[in-house]
Amino acid sequence: MNPVVGYVSIAVVTVATVLVGFFGLRVSRTTGDFYVASRTVRPWWNASAIGGEYLSAASVLGIAGLLLLRGEAALWFPIGYTAGYLMLLLFVAAPLRRSGAYTIPDFTQARLESLPVRRVTSILVIVIGWFYIVPQLQGAALTVGITTGLPRWAGAVGVAVVVGVVVAAGGMRSITFVQAFQFWLKLTALAIPVVVILAFLPGAAPGLPTEVALPVPPPSSGAELYTTASLLLALLLGTMGLPHVLVRFYTNPDGRAARRTTLIVLGLLSVFYLFPVAFGMLGRVFAPHLADEADALVLVLPGLLVPGVLGEVLTALVIAGAFGAFLSTTSGLVVSLAGVVSQELFGGSVRGFRVAAIGSALVPLAVALLTESAGLAGSVGLVFAFTASTLCPVLLLGIWWRGLTARGAIAGMASGALLCGGAILVAPFVPAGWVGALLAQPAAWSVPIATLVVVLVSRADRAHLPRGADRFLAQLHLPERLTPTR
Amino acid sequence: MTAPPPRVRVTAPRSTSRRVAATPGPGDPSTLYVRSLIRSQLRVAVVAAGSFALVLAGITATLALVPEVREFTVGGIPIAWVVLGAGVYPLVLLVAVLVVRAADRNEERYRSLAEDS
Repeated sequence: MNPVVGYVSIAVVTVATVLVGFFGLRVSRTTGDFYVASRTVRPWWNASAIGGEYLSAASVLGIAGLLLLRGEAALWFPIGYTAGYLMLLLFVAAPLRRSGAYTIPDFTQARLESLPVRRVTSILVIVIGWFYIVPQLQGAALTVGITTGLPRWAGAVGVAVVVGVVVAAGGMRSITFVQAFQFWLKLTALAIPVVVILAFLPGAAPGLPTEVALPVPPPSSGAELYTTASLLLALLLGTMGLPHVLVRFYTNPDGRAARRTTLIVLGLLSVFYLFPVAFGMLGRVFAPHLADEADALVLVLPGLLVPGVLGEVLTALVIAGAFGAFLSTTSGLVVSLAGVVSQELFGGSVRGFRVAAIGSALVPLAVALLTESAGLAGSVGLVFAFTASTLCPVLLLGIWWRGLTARGAIAGMASGALLCGGAILVAPFVPAGWVGALLAQPAAWSVPIATLVVVLVSRADRAHLPRGADRFLAQLHLPERLTPTR
Repeated sequence: MTAPPPRVRVTAPRSTSRRVAATPGPGDPSTLYVRSLIRSQLRVAVVAAGSFALVLAGITATLALVPEVREFTVGGIPIAWVVLGAGVYPLVLLVAVLVVRAADRNEERYRSLAEDS
């Protein structure tokens, strides 16, 4: 691959991101601006920003790579990533907007009137955020390594530094513009190459016949069915607990707008995911030999199938889209982590936010440099499973069940974290088979157990029901104009 | 260059909820209405999530148990790839639109009840 294309493309995206970020900086003045863009962002902007932030390395590179490796079974990943927003719309969008809180720890503290709950939630949010940033940085390392020939660590370091500086300087108002821009960049970057490749197909290299490239999978064993179902559950429920996803809902003016925004997000994602799937299919037909480094499929395929300058332009475009994904998801996560960390440790000051932003980018960088990527879509899937087992039950029950207590929430989050985290850590050492499948995709049992623990402990702890539970639930569910105010 | 706006010292509100609702007593009709609103919103969400899960399970079961289905292709692409790779998304959107409507309707109903009482 021509390294000049890689350098130019990465430089342009990075400069554009920084410029759009600092353009927003001029209107970012108060802490409210820094945290949630003063809740004045329009639904289309907001929905594009949510999409831009959500579509990570796993979506832009990982899905096509996984389709190349595993075929039909990998089609469940984009379905789960999209339908996660459906669950978010159904169960949490409007109530969370009405809760009036800035972050998930704010929400659990207000709902359960307990500082310990806040602390536990904060720790989980920080851990989840870190482990979600790691695959982004690994994706950046892969992209930089393949497209420029630089050592791989350069990509991870570059993304971490750019994001840390932009977030520390601009806060979230600028990030909203950056993210909205990133969504359209990513969509364009995948859509145009697919269309051009399809137009060039008649003259392209001979591909495998579709019966060979897209084979009927052999009948799945029980363990394989379990793995698919468990993964889907993790993706469906994990989305609503992701820290950078939730914070976006506070930027809607009211609960109804939060639902409208989510609806637009679902539309945007539905269109977007057609293209990674198309890339995966084209890869199976025309480039089965790329399976050694499947996550690079999207980066390599356009140059392979479209000759000449046009091929290089398309390559530049997909590199830009991929790099945009690392920048946008990482910055979204760093913003929400910095919000949580600065409120915990620095009393929520702007200076604290800046310090926390730098820290939130550097810790995952260390992890990314010390560990090896095990497939982008897969590692992100595990973060979803962990989120679904810890934050999701507490959020759902906190919104819909008045019987939730602080001890129930803490017990549930702790048991979910131990079970799911433990299973993920042990799984690589267990041979394939039923036990291996149960440990490698723990969501199907860890989520129900964590939920059960929350319910049972809350029941036993009935004497400590938060006193304002009824009032708070009313605030979550009543349309804004009718919330009785003093 | 124009002068920058004056700097203000700002801090994030540590307390969480700023809209404090009046506490309805246990016998208060508004509590009853609120609980029934929450129940009907939950019903909408659970029915929608359940139906969506059923459709996904149905697709999986059909592909696994009725192998003849797999012989269909659309433009040379096997039906399983068409349905799972593209066909599921309109369904997601349909469920979402229905849910947004139903949730708005529940809120309207609550609003008219609350304004009557």
